[in-house]
Amino acid sequence: VPCRAGTVQIHTLLDRIGSGDGVWADLRHLEQLCATVRDTSLCGLGQSAPNPVLSTLQYFGKEYEELLSDEKKEVADA
Amino acid sequence: MRDMRPAVTVTFDGEEYEAFAGESVMDAARRLGVKIPSLCYLEGLSLWGGCRLCVVQIAEDHRLRPACATTVAQDMEIKTDTPMLRAHRKAIVEMLFAEGNHVCAVCVSNGKCELQDMAVATGMDHVRFDYQAPQREVDASHPKYVFDPNRCILCTRCVRVCDEIEGAHVWDVAFRGSDAELVAELGKPWGESTSCTWCGKCVAVCPTGAMAYQGKAVGEMEHHANIVIRLATARTKGEWLDPEEVG
Repeated sequence: VPCRAGTVQIHTLLDRIGSGDGVWADLRHLEQLCATVRDTSLCGLGQSAPNPVLSTLQYFGKEYEELLSDEKKEVADA
Repeated sequence: MRDMRPAVTVTFDGEEYEAFAGESVMDAARRLGVKIPSLCYLEGLSLWGGCRLCVVQIAEDHRLRPACATTVAQDMEIKTDTPMLRAHRKAIVEMLFAEGNHVCAVCVSNGKCELQDMAVATGMDHVRFDYQAPQREVDASHPKYVFDPNRCILCTRCVRVCDEIEGAHVWDVAFRGSDAELVAELGKPWGESTSCTWCGKCVAVCPTGAMAYQGKAVGEMEHHANIVIRLATARTKGEWLDPEEVG
């Protein structure tokens, strides 16, 4: 389940953030989801597929954050 | 009858218990009254290990293991309930709800559904992910039963019970990954399947409302998954278990 359904959700979240419609909560969900998929998957794909997402989140976190619009950022901070 | 299997000492969340050598962590936990959530596991059927709800942590091992497919060992420190495991399980149930169309209010199994029970057990009260809202056609071609793929969580209990207990192998999973779906006889409507014996074991073991009797209204469907352990025991030991006792 984590692999079959989780990778689809990771893709959806990345797509949304990439297209500039992402909100701060999406970034947090993405991070938690990646950890769940990596730690609980049965298959090798599920165990390793979240790794590139997690490492880009770690090293390019700023770029992700820039894609989230400022307006929504203020809402999330408030 | 006294069980003569050699015993091993294990701990569940810090408490010591005596388990039998060779049994799975899940079987030991159930017998000893330790609750571990699960969906695809059913006593009497082969292992699937696909739902991943029963993941447990062994000592400080960073790799989680499914309780159903892990054998107990002497001095095993099993953690079944940590904040991390709770978060993972909740996320898994959320994924299941987001993947299909699980609308309890209009479901035949409302109130008697194992998926619903898991949502309650893991405290899943809302879904953070996007609902995928798939468009799947209901198969009501069988005179006696209905299959609604929207409610199917692909636990493969029906596949296994049909193959291993009934020996008909009507059901199987077609396609892979997120395209996976349950099919009868290589994709025929269930009613046209010639190998189906109408035995209804698939309906009995379904954890959700995906398989039901024709003509059931909301909340009327009751599944009887314990039929499997009774049949398996009858076959291997030649005795019938009391239905009250196997729960």
